[in-house]
Amino acid sequence: MRLTRSSRSASTLLVFACAIAFVATAIGTLAGGTRKFFDDDPIPREPETQDASGATPYDINLIWDLSYNLFANPARNQPKIRAKNLNTIDEVADSSWFVNRILSQPLNVEDVGRGPVTGPGPAGRLTIIAPKSAGAAPGFLARDERGSLWFVSFDAKGQPEGATSVIMVANKLFWALGYWQVENHLIVIRPDELAIADTAKWKPPSGKRRRMHRSDLAEVLRRAHRRADGSYRAVAARGLPGKILEGFQYYGTRPDDPNDLVPHEHRRELRALKVFGAWTNLVDMKAGNTLDTVVQENGRGIVRHYLQDVGSTFGIGANGPRDYDEGWEHLYEGDPMWKRLVSAGFYLRPWQKADYPDYPAVGRFEAEQFDPREWKPRVPTAAFLMSRADDEFWAARRVMAFSDEMIRAAVRAGGFSDPAAEKYLGDVLLERRDKIGKAFLPAVNPLVDFALDDAGVLTFDNAAVRAGVAEAPRAGYQASWFAFDNATGQARPIGETGRSPALRFQAPAGLPGETGAYVKVQVSAIDPPDPSWTTPVEVYFRRQAGGWKLVGLERLPDAL
Amino acid sequence: MKHRPPMKVRWLLAGALALLAAMPMPAAAQDSRTDTIAAAQAEKAQHLVPPHPSRAEQIVVRLTRGFLEVPSGFYPLIDSVYSGGGFTLGAGYRHYVGDRAIGFFQGLYSIKNYKLVEAGINSPGLAGGRLGYRVNFGWRDATQVGYYGLGMDTSYDDRANFRFDETFGDVEATFRPVPWSVFTGAVTYDGYDTKSGEGGHPSIEEEYTSATAPGLGADPNYIRLTATAGIDLRPTSGIDYRPSAGYARRGGYYGVKYQNWADLDDTYSFDQMDVDLIQHIPILKETWVLSLHGRLQSVLNDDDTVPYFLMPSVGSGSTLRGYSSRRFRDRSSVLMQAEWRWIPNRTGLDVALFYDAGQVASDPSDFATRDLETDVGIGVRFHGPAATPLRIELAKGSEGWNLVFAGTAAF
Repeated sequence: MRLTRSSRSASTLLVFACAIAFVATAIGTLAGGTRKFFDDDPIPREPETQDASGATPYDINLIWDLSYNLFANPARNQPKIRAKNLNTIDEVADSSWFVNRILSQPLNVEDVGRGPVTGPGPAGRLTIIAPKSAGAAPGFLARDERGSLWFVSFDAKGQPEGATSVIMVANKLFWALGYWQVENHLIVIRPDELAIADTAKWKPPSGKRRRMHRSDLAEVLRRAHRRADGSYRAVAARGLPGKILEGFQYYGTRPDDPNDLVPHEHRRELRALKVFGAWTNLVDMKAGNTLDTVVQENGRGIVRHYLQDVGSTFGIGANGPRDYDEGWEHLYEGDPMWKRLVSAGFYLRPWQKADYPDYPAVGRFEAEQFDPREWKPRVPTAAFLMSRADDEFWAARRVMAFSDEMIRAAVRAGGFSDPAAEKYLGDVLLERRDKIGKAFLPAVNPLVDFALDDAGVLTFDNAAVRAGVAEAPRAGYQASWFAFDNATGQARPIGETGRSPALRFQAPAGLPGETGAYVKVQVSAIDPPDPSWTTPVEVYFRRQAGGWKLVGLERLPDAL
Repeated sequence: MKHRPPMKVRWLLAGALALLAAMPMPAAAQDSRTDTIAAAQAEKAQHLVPPHPSRAEQIVVRLTRGFLEVPSGFYPLIDSVYSGGGFTLGAGYRHYVGDRAIGFFQGLYSIKNYKLVEAGINSPGLAGGRLGYRVNFGWRDATQVGYYGLGMDTSYDDRANFRFDETFGDVEATFRPVPWSVFTGAVTYDGYDTKSGEGGHPSIEEEYTSATAPGLGADPNYIRLTATAGIDLRPTSGIDYRPSAGYARRGGYYGVKYQNWADLDDTYSFDQMDVDLIQHIPILKETWVLSLHGRLQSVLNDDDTVPYFLMPSVGSGSTLRGYSSRRFRDRSSVLMQAEWRWIPNRTGLDVALFYDAGQVASDPSDFATRDLETDVGIGVRFHGPAATPLRIELAKGSEGWNLVFAGTAAF
């Protein structure tokens, strides 16, 4: 391979950086000076310290995005390493990607039903400033009488309440899950109430932009579902603040964002979409359904990452009901394709046995045949492929944190005119939620909520048992205690406690008592319902003035 | 000039720095996790570059624009000059005129020396999608078209070849008052110039007479009027029905076509009626699809003389697939096709077992099941959501095997 001068110099830099890393590690090791925890661990928020105002728009080609993920995705052949954006207690810190909400904040039913909504919907007459340029749903960009910008999208012709209800419901759920979401409002539009700005440009098939006319609006509305009274139901999404950069990729980092250090395939909240996607049938995980914007925070430009379009969920999309196999197979999969080819189609999959009731606003969405472990988006993102059991456990806890009432509240936001359709969608989400819990919570050692009090009593919980998706281990739990030297990383055994069915242990004698001391505890199950529970969860506590503080949690090794 | 490192290397560099940031650090390096991360971010800030597509992405973008977005400019073409012409390639140039009308000029050439040159304007989607028109004119040269005689009692060994040049001009309008209906009207000029056939078979004038090949030696010029009415059920109608004519797993098409061929010398004028019925029946969530096609073509007036090269026929890659192109000709034809399809990949691959039956006769009342010629076969189709750009089929009829390569759906 020939290297250009520039690539040679870059390679030199690369080697230099690696050398620094090696030397730093070597020095740390030789000196015995590696520090596992800093005083500010665990950090609740990912620092974003640099100005990203210079980030530039970059539109990822749809065909390229699909082709790359389907056929050239490097994540297929890489080891599944631990997510890299975790704080020291195995949690995702708040960031421009994610905000901890459900499970972390005391959300109530009203919060979930409200979602990202911060104010009223469009005020007065809408003036169209541009047709919608992306996505399959018919729509346009408009300003209301207050000057607010709105992205308006309609139901597809013949699919009343389909796309709009999906957008509304999914928007609430993904907001509660922690993703940056746009603010959506369900509205009804009459064509004669719409105005077209003089500056609105229309792009006909020729590609030569010209002023938008009334006939162009008619062309948009021709693809939308017209109600019996001549009106159109639509979703108005509030324009996002900041400079629009287009979508993000599910691998690598933005080369123009200084704060984007962790490759996206190693971000847990993106890996977790495997579980959240399974729950909601978020089949279309393409870059085009995401959006990066530069917003101002603390006087700096920060790139905020939105799951901007979660409308590809449940059983219906912008053009109508989902294909039967969506959620079950990628667009291309060699194995089932060849099996179907040679068996003349008699190689049958579960989706071919699924039954869908006739709710046009819900489409093909069901729970009976649903298997969360088998769920697949149209194309596998690198983050999807890198997802591990600890990521899925983290995600499943969030799904299971939705109460029945929260789910019903989110579904109510869909504005279904048919109560039976609303009930059906809610029922399916409840059942799929429970299947998520059953599939992913017991698949790793599910111990959570560790605390160590001043009296040396360690308490914890079992998320799988608590959720009712697994039996408690027959012989209880055991714990190994260590004094941990944060400077050297060495652990000195203190004692063993255990074989107790209770979710608490009294620490053995010899627990360090001085401020700044660390203790490490390994807790595992004995004779558990799933063998993975014998792998201990390792937790670390630091002695502080106020008592012991949980500063570390490791559920699975870094590399599997 | 300052050189920037290639994207891949820059990303590796950024990754190495990120890795560095994530490593356990000597106590003296940073005082906090926040500082550690901030240092890595500050380091990356020194090496920012704008996102840039890779070479592979650039190629995909170029191909996407060339094949899917139909921009003005040159384009490659895989199509047919005339059935039986063999593998054909071509190229064209198109240019938008106004919002959606496309002016085009294109040419095709086949391995059997068939040629087509045409130019025109095509404007779909007018009047809110209800109206479209197409104007085109051109010249076609088919050098070795087979003729086997009239009726079903002919032998493959009776084949003779003829050649024809066709100069044509056509104005066609399509009207869809409601989305599921389609009406088409066209006025066409067809000027034929027949010649001795090329290829490995005798020329038609050596084997046939005007009694066995009506119109032999004639070079008629026609004004042809065509009217089509059909029920075309597609998803745009809001009915869960046939996705498109180019590729379908559901729904159907039911159409009638009338053609008046007016010979400018009034010697070979005739009227013809075609009935076309298509039904796709999905089975078990479209695991299988039973596709049925029936077609009847008939010259309406017994007294009219129809030139041999314009007679209804069966035999080709989309009719009787086990037989050569236009193997059977007469004043009427009937075709029945059934396909049992399965879908190995819903995005792009269908396989089908098929059975075709067809015959020709001088009058529809002469059709008899005992005279039907049949074939069976298997085919694979590479398709998109609305088109079948490649169909490869192997069919066996009473005259042997036939391999079909086509760029359209069979029906």
